[in-house]
Amino acid sequence: MSDFPDKLLLPDIPNLHRIDVYEQHGGYAAIRKALAMTTDAVIDEVKKSNLKGRGGAGFPTGLKWTFMPKQTSKPKYLCANGDEGEPGTFKDRQIFELNPHQFIEGCLIASYAMGVRATYVYIRGEYVKWINILQHAIDEAYAKNYIGNKICGTNFSTDVYIVRGAGAYICGEESSLMNSIEGDRGYPRVKPPFPAQVGLWGCPTTINNIETLTNIPVIMNRGGDWYSKIGSSKHPGTLLYGISGHVNKPGVYELPTGVLLTDLIHKHAGGIHGGKKIKAVIPGGSSTMWLRGDELEGVRMDADSLKAAGTSIGTAGVIVMDEDTDVLKVLARITHFYHHESCGQCTPCREGCGWMEKILKRFMSVDGNIEDIDLLLNVANNIEGNTVCALGDAAAWPVQSVIKKFREEFEKRIGKIPAENKYIPPPHLVAKSG
Amino acid sequence: MVKITIDGKQYEVENNLTIIQAAKQNGIHIPHFCWHPHLSVSGNCRVCLVEVEKMPKLVIACSTQVAEGMVVNTNSERVVQARNAVLEFILINHPLDCPICDEAGECKLQDYAYKYSVGQSRFDFEKVRKPKRVELGPNVMLDTERCIMCSRCIRFCDEVAKKPQLTFTQRGDHVELTTFPGEQLDNPYSMNVIELCPVGALTSRDFRFKARVWDMSSTDTVCVGCARGCNMKMWVRNNEVLRLTPRNNPAVNDYWMCDYGRLNTFKHVNAANRIKAPMVRKDGRLVEVGWDEAIAKVGFELKNFKKNEIAALGSAYSTNEDNYLLTKLMNHLGVKRIDFVPHIRKGEQDDLLIREDKTPNSVGAREVGVRPESAEFGFASILNEIKAGNIKALYVIDDDIAADPVIADALLKLDFLVVHASNENETIKFADVVLASSTYAEKYGTFTNFQGRVQRNKPAISTLEHDRILDGMALSRLDKFGAPNDRWTTGLKRDTRASWRILNSIAAVMGAKWKYNSCEDVFNEIASTISSFKGLSFLKIGTGGAMLNKNKETVTVKS
Repeated sequence: MSDFPDKLLLPDIPNLHRIDVYEQHGGYAAIRKALAMTTDAVIDEVKKSNLKGRGGAGFPTGLKWTFMPKQTSKPKYLCANGDEGEPGTFKDRQIFELNPHQFIEGCLIASYAMGVRATYVYIRGEYVKWINILQHAIDEAYAKNYIGNKICGTNFSTDVYIVRGAGAYICGEESSLMNSIEGDRGYPRVKPPFPAQVGLWGCPTTINNIETLTNIPVIMNRGGDWYSKIGSSKHPGTLLYGISGHVNKPGVYELPTGVLLTDLIHKHAGGIHGGKKIKAVIPGGSSTMWLRGDELEGVRMDADSLKAAGTSIGTAGVIVMDEDTDVLKVLARITHFYHHESCGQCTPCREGCGWMEKILKRFMSVDGNIEDIDLLLNVANNIEGNTVCALGDAAAWPVQSVIKKFREEFEKRIGKIPAENKYIPPPHLVAKSG
Repeated sequence: MVKITIDGKQYEVENNLTIIQAAKQNGIHIPHFCWHPHLSVSGNCRVCLVEVEKMPKLVIACSTQVAEGMVVNTNSERVVQARNAVLEFILINHPLDCPICDEAGECKLQDYAYKYSVGQSRFDFEKVRKPKRVELGPNVMLDTERCIMCSRCIRFCDEVAKKPQLTFTQRGDHVELTTFPGEQLDNPYSMNVIELCPVGALTSRDFRFKARVWDMSSTDTVCVGCARGCNMKMWVRNNEVLRLTPRNNPAVNDYWMCDYGRLNTFKHVNAANRIKAPMVRKDGRLVEVGWDEAIAKVGFELKNFKKNEIAALGSAYSTNEDNYLLTKLMNHLGVKRIDFVPHIRKGEQDDLLIREDKTPNSVGAREVGVRPESAEFGFASILNEIKAGNIKALYVIDDDIAADPVIADALLKLDFLVVHASNENETIKFADVVLASSTYAEKYGTFTNFQGRVQRNKPAISTLEHDRILDGMALSRLDKFGAPNDRWTTGLKRDTRASWRILNSIAAVMGAKWKYNSCEDVFNEIASTISSFKGLSFLKIGTGGAMLNKNKETVTVKS
């Protein structure tokens, strides 16, 4: 981990969001390089880099690009997913603010590689400031003919548009995102067909995360081989770790994949408030499985290591909770979030999320029942895997993992002793003895 | 074709099918709410989850395509559990108001809960409350709490009626079905969402709270609202028609029918202005008489006219059999002037079902001989000849021709007018004899729709002519219980007769020697004498209808 610049995505260069500064530091060289290559060669380079998607599912980016049909009469589209709705995640915002041109350049390379007619950058509506910054950057790039008709003097034309989300978490799910762009209700689509066949407006579409696309210019400039050697071999590159919760220095840290979770918390994020112990960590945004404080030793922040630990990298949005945290309160809040954000399309998630929240609220008011713990777990199990999209799983996993790892916290809150199912006849029906 | 295994049995099916379609073709029912054979797949109810070998998760049978060697299990323990879970989820916020719900008895949720769920809920919180009694449109009422968000109604409006009027608002368990702002559910096919709705969320404003489903009998019959002849079921309780619902026939109407047909083709059957017995005009007033007297009167009067002084009007509302016997009677009398009054409303037609010909049997009436040999015997000419005083007697069946004031004026000139009528109308005001005819709901017969498809009509209402039990008519639960002296159903039985039977009696007094014991006898004669009907029989027509022969020669009906 020595001969690469520490920061590939958010380098410490002042005013990098300006196109002239970006160009001075080698910006927009990658797209020129790509345009001189064949599209297959560009995709091969991305495949070589072994870049995995940064939106949560971790699908190999190069492979995803090959799913787009080469021969088609329809226009092809790229959606850049900047909905960033996952609680604990705030990394794409940094890209929009500090390095928007590298993201745009990534979109352009991807567009060239897949023959994309237009890129739709879907950004959560609350990001007004960052939408403005990105729009300014797009305007600059248009003015310099990096985007638009016959870019950089070649025959390739492509456009980049921003679409503002309207506040629904579900619209960060790729197929809901497309529905939302089309002006429809944010409902996930049933797959298959997959977006590469039938996507935006029925046309072949690829959806990539903002951070994923921002990695592309680096791969073009430095080569896929070089990139593949950063961090963990199976999950290479740098990640934007968003650390929040009870740490002294919360924020976004760009580091290679595979850093120790404990290092991330203690070295980079400055340790826990008041030197307290860690009770729990959510490693990849609110939908990933929790880790107990005593499970963190040796866990590395990459897909494989976290999988071995029973959770996943998600968006690398690490939420740290100290020993004084009421995990049930956290879980109830997370479950409230999923109840509020369930789109309501399919049955298990629509009905189950509300039910889980109701049970958790009963625990919160110390009115729970010992049987409620298993009921809650069973409801979560009945949601998991049975829904159209991953939101059902996202709602179920935190519940499952907290029950598994902090069952005693539930037991502490049992108020009711389960009533015996015994028929007690009213007094006038009881035979008087004697 | 691919080979797949469902529940241990191998089947060979077409390769573009989904699992649920392949299963359906082979008689295996996979439970489903949101899937419908004629709508796009939405995959949201999740009750059709099945296990497919080598797939890690359960998959929904409605959207998963079959593939060579696929092994599907619709009843594994995982599937049974998941299905039970889905039903439990649906029921946690669904009101348990089956005792007052119109859908009870034909509710998929009720059926599936009974069949696939453990029947017990672990949900002990307050249910989500949503608006009730929402008037979605002129014909459909919504109970939002009962809605299970299957989206069938939305897809129907978008895809079939082509009128996107419905949508969901809100999210999660607060999702509500509603109309778009400023819209209402008022497309001509809006009431189809009532049957599409698997639960009691969408109900008919005309029918709701009128009857329990199991207290009605349902008879497979045909709509008479236009020349389409949509296949439908007629629902009867206590000898009263309460509702009509479409019956699937891919060749005619698929699963649909229009609101007009559904609401406007049965009210006259129950109406208070039904003609209960034959009537003869005495001293200027119509007086109820017995059938024998009425028929004798017609026979006696008609003999007073020369054959060119008589004309007959058949009816496109009447069956092939009625029109055939009218033709045959007129041939017997040597009467050449025979036609019917068309009821075409220009432009009132669409690409789905509705036809501008508002009668069910124009094609059939013509085919069986209710057509003039030439224009000089046609309806326009008949009208002129009546005005000129050359035609003195007119025989009209089952059509209120005097509703048109021009025709009404002409009728004043007649010396003798016989009318078959089911309800009091304008025409009987001019009639000398009124013969109480059965409506289409009370008789057997066939109609021929605009495509040339011959379809059967069956009595759903019993009359003195047709006994519900002896004639094998459809029975409801109420009809079945109790001994005959203890019947719960005491509804009015009218003394009306099918027009073909009335014509048969008239012919008898006019000296014809016909032998028809049933409507089927008449049809069999049509099939043997009219080439376009050749080879058809009641059995062949069945419940789905049969097409007329294409290569037809003109055949005249012999007397």
